[in-house]
Amino acid sequence: MESERTEEYLEAIYKRQGKETPVSTSSLAADLGVSQPAVTDMLRTLENKGLIDYKASRGAALTRSGEERALAVIRRHRLWERFLTDVLGMKWDKVHEEACRLEHATSPDIEKGLSSLLGGIDTCPHGHSIPDEKGNIKPEKTTPISKFRPLQKVRILAIDNEDPKLLRGIEKLGLRPGAVVTVLKRNKNGSLDVEFRKEKIALDNATASVLTAEPATETLLAREEAEIALGELPPGESAVIKTCGGGHGSIGRCLSLGFTPGSVIKMVENYRRGPVLVRVHDTEVAIGRQLAEKISVVRKEAA
Amino acid sequence: MIESAKEKAITVALAGAPNVGKSTIFNLLTGLSQHVGNWPGKTVEQKTGVFRQGELTMNIVDLPGTYSLTANSLEEQIARDYLVNENPDVVVAVLNAASLERNLYLVAELIELAPCLVIALNMLDVAEQQGMKIDPAALSQTLNISVIPIVARANRGLRELVSQIEQECGAAAGLRDVKHIEYGSEIKGVIDHVEGLLDDGITDPYPKHWTAMKLLEGDDQINKLIRGRMPAERWPALESYLRENESAAVTIATLRFEWVGRMMGVAQQKRRVGQVSLTERIDRAATHPISGLFILVAVLGAIFWLVFSIGVPIQKFLDVNLIVRTREFVYTLSFMPQWLQGFLADGVLSGAGTVLTFVPILLCFFAAWAFMEDTGYTARAAFVTDRFMHALGLHGKSCLPLVLGFGCNVPAILGTRIIDSPRARLLTILLTPLVPCTGRMAVVAIIAAAFFGNSAVLVSIGIIIFSLLMLVMVGLILNKFVIHGESSALIMELPLYHVPDLKLIGMVTWQNILAFIKRAGTVILAVSILVWLLSIIPNGNISDSVLADIGKWLEPLGRLMGLNWQMMVALLSSFVAKENTIATLGVMLSGSGGDLTQQLKAILTPAAAVAFLVVQVLFIPCVATISAIRQETGGWGWPAFALVFQLVLSFAMAILVFQASRLFQLGI
Repeated sequence: MESERTEEYLEAIYKRQGKETPVSTSSLAADLGVSQPAVTDMLRTLENKGLIDYKASRGAALTRSGEERALAVIRRHRLWERFLTDVLGMKWDKVHEEACRLEHATSPDIEKGLSSLLGGIDTCPHGHSIPDEKGNIKPEKTTPISKFRPLQKVRILAIDNEDPKLLRGIEKLGLRPGAVVTVLKRNKNGSLDVEFRKEKIALDNATASVLTAEPATETLLAREEAEIALGELPPGESAVIKTCGGGHGSIGRCLSLGFTPGSVIKMVENYRRGPVLVRVHDTEVAIGRQLAEKISVVRKEAA
Repeated sequence: MIESAKEKAITVALAGAPNVGKSTIFNLLTGLSQHVGNWPGKTVEQKTGVFRQGELTMNIVDLPGTYSLTANSLEEQIARDYLVNENPDVVVAVLNAASLERNLYLVAELIELAPCLVIALNMLDVAEQQGMKIDPAALSQTLNISVIPIVARANRGLRELVSQIEQECGAAAGLRDVKHIEYGSEIKGVIDHVEGLLDDGITDPYPKHWTAMKLLEGDDQINKLIRGRMPAERWPALESYLRENESAAVTIATLRFEWVGRMMGVAQQKRRVGQVSLTERIDRAATHPISGLFILVAVLGAIFWLVFSIGVPIQKFLDVNLIVRTREFVYTLSFMPQWLQGFLADGVLSGAGTVLTFVPILLCFFAAWAFMEDTGYTARAAFVTDRFMHALGLHGKSCLPLVLGFGCNVPAILGTRIIDSPRARLLTILLTPLVPCTGRMAVVAIIAAAFFGNSAVLVSIGIIIFSLLMLVMVGLILNKFVIHGESSALIMELPLYHVPDLKLIGMVTWQNILAFIKRAGTVILAVSILVWLLSIIPNGNISDSVLADIGKWLEPLGRLMGLNWQMMVALLSSFVAKENTIATLGVMLSGSGGDLTQQLKAILTPAAAVAFLVVQVLFIPCVATISAIRQETGGWGWPAFALVFQLVLSFAMAILVFQASRLFQLGI
């Protein structure tokens, strides 16, 4: 019982350290769902064991041996989560609680068995790294998706929260770690519009702040998602309009003729020089070459 | 209750995008009662007409064809100003069912401006041919606006449209509320914020919500209006907010199309099937860079063939049988005083009368023009020629007016109305007089024949090529140095081809001819009388008249290009009409015996003859052309510029040609 509580605390401090060092008693109290005096008591005990450095005025930080213990328990926790989803087929919003119980009752042999059963997997179902048996862990990027610029393409790395309701919501959207989305717009109320699988979805404030992401690298996207100028689209191919450039005067004309972001456009004729002929909103429209170079589109895969 | 007056007159405005069959509907409703003019102070055609049925009188106004109501163009500005200021009783939105998606965009904008809206859903047959099936009732229900299906070309559904208009008008006008499209909460917040920054009354007569949206959409006209009316210290706040939300224009347009998409979802039972339509098959050839050019040349060839095999012979016939005969007849009327005979014969008949003989030629051109417009070919011709026109800062649509200029510069200048970029349009107007018209070519042909015998054709072609080279050169100069501003890019819809509506073509041609005859009866008549007066004052003899004095005064200049004063007078007389040159020469040289060829040879060297051809094709535009330029540019500035510019250009070139050929002993 005692060691279980110790491990819970070490784990919580470790996770918190990604965001604040030293970790304050109040945030620990919130994360663990206990009162502040209880946290203070426990932190004193942990300090006596040499697992943390603790100063009442500032907070707690893991010592070397404390971090080792924490990583060991996190490894077990995340291995269990993987096992529960991948082998037992449980939903990812249920596995955290189960793993919390199992992690404390795991012998080194079971840990080894889990690890070899799961093979080379190095992340938990929520996208966090699993430390190796020596206690090394890949550093994680923790930038939430809400911090990215509009029109930036990003890959979801992890879901930085275990709240089942939130996880269920995210699963419904299909946003697994590894998914590539385009940030469209940040709204006043904190929600975020993104494009995923060619559809626009809105992420509420809570969701947007727990999804961590990194800029998607070009190599992954080069084939299907690269933006090109409309003038480069070969005849017969379709594309989705991304942005509509052009001067102040022509942009209004473009918009009223239906060249709005998201509209599907089909190239009818495109000879290397001179104007191009496209079909947009059920009509054929001719556009001068110069203007066609200022409209950027994303190719649709040929049907 | 007192019965309201039995007779009721209502105002109905027809709104719609280009190529939706709006003109056809307008013609069907108004027939010959229509009046064609210009919108006040604008060079955009305004058509109004009256429809009567029983006790109902509808004054119908045909608004310019527009895709939206944001002031991207003069047409759009006119259309929305009319809707706001004149507040018509009913607005009929004419939609093309075959491109309903695009046309509903305008409806989205109209809903916010025109409380009493009726939709005329035209071309349902065309849509069906393309495999689309549209349910007017469902559309009507979702929009909460009555939708009347019609096929204007077959005159179907017009009666229902009229009765619906009458019915809508009967509904209590005050109860109608301005409806808004639901744009979603985010953008609504932005619009509301802008609305909050606007004081009450500041946006009159535009609705406040609408004004806020237009400000966000970057509408220059509304922006200027509000800036002028707002207290100066408050403007920066609004301006910076608008700049912060620059992307709102795109968002609003996108949301409008999303709204359109929802409406389409309801109205469309069957989507367009992926078959290749006739239009697409024709376009594969007609818009191809090579075969498209061949087709264009063939079409233009056919038009010129028509002009030269029908128009020109009739013109000649009229000239000989009507003008010349009548002139002779006038001189036989001995009861008339001599001055009256001269006035009628030389002032009225040989001036304005000669210009009128050109009506058959113009008829051919106007009809061909309307035909190309109505079938949809004009847009293809513009598409094919855009790449060449661009170098001169012109537009694909500049090509056809310029080609038309070979017939007569006047319809060419009027034809520039199809060019939607004001800058490209002005450039085209200024370049058109450099296209040698039939009048000038007649003079070139006669003089070349007199001097160069067998090689006359070569000389004539050389002169045409020379003047086109001048056109390109002048175009480059004007584009670069004179007319400022960025050349705007081509963006135009290519309408579906359709069988031409002969009634509509006839109507358009008739209206154009009527306008030309009016011009001949006023401006041209006045100038030809003036020139005639100058030629008889003070002694009634052209050789010592004021005109001759001017010619003699110009002789030093003329000598630089080998021309004597008679030739200068002949040149000046071409101001009335280009072919007058020959007639004037005839009168001036009549004393010296022999026919015109011998007389010309006596006073001109071959080098001087070439110089005369050069100065003649480049000389100042004729009266009719000048008055057309004035009308189309809305002032005297540009016609004055054209006068001075071409005066300098023609003299400079002629002097250059004459001096060079003398220097190198060419042809002497």
